Order: sequence, then structure tokens, then C-alpha cells
Amino acid sequence: MRIYILRRVIRLIITFFVVLILNFIIPRAMPGNPANILANENQLPPETAKYLIEIFKLNRPIWDQFTAYILNTFQGNWGFSYRYYPETVYELLMQRLPWTIFLLGISTITTALLGMIFGIIAGWKRGSKIDSTISVSSIFIWSIPYYWLAMMLVYIFGYMLKITPTSHALTPGLEYDNFFEFITDALYHAILPISAITLTAYATYVLITRNTMLDVLSEDFVTVAKAKGLSERTVIIKHVLRNALLPPITILSLRFGFIVSGAIFTETVFSYPGVGLLIYESIIYHDYPVLQGAFFLLSITVILANLLADIIYMILDPRVRYG
Amino acid sequence: MNTVNILKVLMNLPKSEFLHAIISNRKGRAGLIIVTFFIIIAIFADQLSPYNPWVQVGPPFQPPSLQHPLGLNDVGYDILSELIHGTRVSLMVGFFAALFQTLIGVPAGLFAGYYGGYLDEIISGTIDTLLIIPSLPLLIILVAYLGQNLFNIILALTILGWMGTARVIRSQTLTIKQRDYVEASKAIGTSNIRIIFQAILPAVMPIVMAQMIFEITGAILAEAGLSFLGLGDPTHKSWGMMLYYAQQRNALLLGLWWWFLPPGLCIALLGTGFVLIGLSIEEYVNPKLRSI
Repeated sequence: MRIYILRRVIRLIITFFVVLILNFIIPRAMPGNPANILANENQLPPETAKYLIEIFKLNRPIWDQFTAYILNTFQGNWGFSYRYYPETVYELLMQRLPWTIFLLGISTITTALLGMIFGIIAGWKRGSKIDSTISVSSIFIWSIPYYWLAMMLVYIFGYMLKITPTSHALTPGLEYDNFFEFITDALYHAILPISAITLTAYATYVLITRNTMLDVLSEDFVTVAKAKGLSERTVIIKHVLRNALLPPITILSLRFGFIVSGAIFTETVFSYPGVGLLIYESIIYHDYPVLQGAFFLLSITVILANLLADIIYMILDPRVRYG
Repeated sequence: MNTVNILKVLMNLPKSEFLHAIISNRKGRAGLIIVTFFIIIAIFADQLSPYNPWVQVGPPFQPPSLQHPLGLNDVGYDILSELIHGTRVSLMVGFFAALFQTLIGVPAGLFAGYYGGYLDEIISGTIDTLLIIPSLPLLIILVAYLGQNLFNIILALTILGWMGTARVIRSQTLTIKQRDYVEASKAIGTSNIRIIFQAILPAVMPIVMAQMIFEITGAILAEAGLSFLGLGDPTHKSWGMMLYYAQQRNALLLGLWWWFLPPGLCIALLGTGFVLIGLSIEEYVNPKLRSI
């Protein structure tokens, strides 16, 4: 099992380098001159373009470009934004990242909790009314586009009922006396975005947990436990849950990518000032350096989240801990 | 059973156990009805839509009326006609992206599972790596650089979407290759390629179908998402693009529900239709899951 974790970590390191290389290759594999993207003279002042060609060695052979790219990437030189010049891509992303992490962190936890709870209930009471309600609604929610659900939430709770803010992460122009006031305002603005991400991301999670429950419930040891005369509740809590919860936790790491997509769409709908909204604006303004920087940064975030999930898994599963 | 027979006669189906499994399952039947409904709309979009969706037919932002059941958008196009034409893009992208993903994913899974060793390490490694990378940001830069048209969207969805199928097929192949009949064909000297395509492929076919149908839903959602972010093909009407313009023109603030409600419902309904068919096949393959 130790070896399993070691393999996972190596896999994450390889993934990081694949992302690094993709980010280098994609703009260069497209027709035209790569200098047109990083150092575009129509978008950036000539002296800046010259400076970028210089530091990224854009007029040199591809190998020199690659080493310069790696060096610059690690130093945080990710080029300049066309739209927000003279801000650099790195500065811009770092301003936006905390908001996205805030949304992602809370949504991941709520998705996992809600998904597991409803999945367990559906699996436990399989065939019942509760099961079919949970399963059928999950199937429908599975196919609802994130952004559309977010739009409906804004429309219903923000514009019709007027009980939640309709956009932004904080009340514009508000001064805070202390940290508590700040965090309350931030959470108040995050309720709808987090609900939107959670609702759409949790559906598949419910179905996965339910299927794992059904698999475990049909195992021999469950029949034996029942035959011993243990109550239904004891069998579920002591024997089934322990075995049914590990796979969903492993799968959680596969859900990070979906939650990132959810954040991009949701931030767009709520004008929430995270990396996702920046991506949306960059698409409209053809701000390629920012798009690439965002891809790189979000990939690193997901890789780190995976690492964290592996550590949690190691703590939870005794076979890995003592293996 | 009556519905089953009627459907069989209507569609002139052969007595296939597989199709029977879908039709006799409640979920499968519901899914099939939904999907058929949208396919008919897509085929007869030109006849069914009351107006040309590219032509201004009245003043902008008109609320629903008898002439225009879903009103007019920000430039005076008939929203119902746009909605009807949008069915085509969703179905086309969904179907072709899922087809190409299957054509890559199935052989990759079969070879990785059957041969094992280094080949498996390479294929599984690629799958795991691609699954960790968040797909939407990568999809966005691919489409942004390649250019916004349906071909490039299908291409990008294929490159980033074959891994799920490959993984499922690989794990199936691992168990099937140990079955007696496969061992027996090996013993009589059947070539590996023949075993893979004549002994293992037919056995995993139902799962391939279920997976492909799930991928259709995924591709429909992904295309709509890209269009919503402004990366759709501007020469085709699509549900995602309708939502993009609704969002851009503050339809929410103005309360123009007839503009932003129907496209989202259509995406969700069509997606649900495919998911239901996929689930019914899954239940046919794995009876443990049967319960609702």
C-alpha cells in the first residue's frame, strides 16, 4: 500500500510536467508565430514586446525557448495581460486565486458530505420511495448545466425573492470594522455560488456512493452479520459504512476537475472575482497569455488537492497506514 | 409489454435482446422517448420552426405572444425558432464527440487490459494524467487557439474525453481475458488480435454502448458550456449560445424568463434522456444495480 501512495505521488509529479509541457506546446503548435501570443505588438507596447521576446528567447531555436520558458515559469514570469497591461499574468491571477480557492474549498466539502449522506440513505433504503426520489432527482441534476442552475438561483433568490446578493464577492464600497464582519459578508455573497457548484457536482457523487453501498450490501460478510442476528442499524454502521465510504473518498480526487469547471461557470454568472471570471473575460478579449496562465495555475491547484486527498486517504485506511 | 411491441414495430427492430433490455426497462423507455423526440425536432427543424432564426422578425425584447410563443431576443430573432435549430448542434456534437471518443477509448482499453506490461503502463499512465488535469481550462485554450467551429470543438472534446471509456474497458478486459473461452482460444493458437476483437470485444459491447451514451451527455454539456463562455461556433444556433447572449444582455435582471429558461431545460432534458438509456444498459449488464 505504501507503494500505491508512492506511485500516486510520482503520477502527480509527472502530471505537473505534462501540464508544463502542454502549456509550452499548445501556442507553438498553432499556425503563426508564437511571438504573436506572448509578445503581441498589436496588444502590448513595442518595448514590452521586445523585452518579452528577449526573456522568452522567442527568436531562438525551440530548445532555447523551452529552457527559457521553464526558467521564467518558475520565477513567476508568465507574460503580460493584453487587457490589463501593465499588470502581469502572474499578479492578476494571484489577486483572483484566493476567491476561487475559497469557493472550491467549501464546495468540495459540501459536495462530499451531501453526496455521501444521500448516497448512503438511497443505498440503505434501496427500492423505497426515498431511494427513487434521491436517485431520479440526481439523474436529472446530473444533466443540468452548472451555469444554468446558477442563473436560476440568481433569478429566484436574488431577483425574485431578493434575499441574496446577485453578484460580486463582497458588498461594493463597504468598510469593515473587523475580520468577523468581513467573513460574514464574504459568506453571505458565497451562499448562492457554493450552492450552485454543490448541487450540480454532488449528483454523480450520490449515484457513485449508492452503487458502492449496493455492492457492499450484497457481500457475504453482510449476510453473515445479519445471520448472527445483528440489527439492521448495527450491520449498516459497523460493517457496511466502513467498507462503502473508502471508494467515494478516492473518487473525490477525481471530482476536483468537475468542481473547477463548476467554479469557472459559477463565477461567470455571479461576476465573482475569481480565476473563472478572469478566464471568461479573457476569452472575450482574446487575452491568450492570461488563459494559459489560468490553465497552468488551476492545474497546479488540482494537483495539490489530489495530493491532499491521498494524504487523507492514507490516514483513513489502516491498510495504507500500516502497510 | 405493449409499448415494447409497438416500439419494435415502429422502429422495425430485430429481436435483439439488447434493445429489448432498454425498452423493457422503465428508465430506458423514458430515455428513448425523450431522445427520439429531440432527434425528430433536429431532423425537421426547418419545417418545424415558425421563422428563420437568423432574421429579425420584430422589435427586440418582445415578450411571448401568439405569433412568438417564446418572444424575441435582443436583436429581434424568434426565440422558439432558435431553440428548435439549437437541437441540431447539441445532438451532432454529442453524437460525433462520443463516437470518436469510443473509437479511441475502446481499443486503448482493450490493448492495455489484454497485453498488460509496458503497454498498459503507458496507456494507464496517460489516462491517469489526463484525468487529473482539469479539463475545462484545457478545453478552453484548445478551442481558443484552434478556432471556434464545430469541427474543432468535436476534436477538442475527443482529445480530452476518451479516457473514461478506456478505463472502464480496460478493467473489463482484465477479468474477461481470464475466462475459460478466452484461455481456450489461446490454447488452440488463435492470434491475439483475433482474440481481442472476436472474443473480448463482443463481451464488453454492452458496456461500450452504456459508456458511449454517457459520453454523449458529457459532450452535449461540454459544448453548451463552451458556447456559454463565448467559445461556440458563431455560425450555428446552439442552446449554450442563447444562454451566453441572455447572460450578456442581463436577461436575469430584466426577468426575461422566456429567454433563459427554455435552453437550459432542453439541455437538461436531452442529457437526462441519454443518461436514462445509459443507466438502463448498465442495469442490464449489472443486475445488482436494478432497484428503481
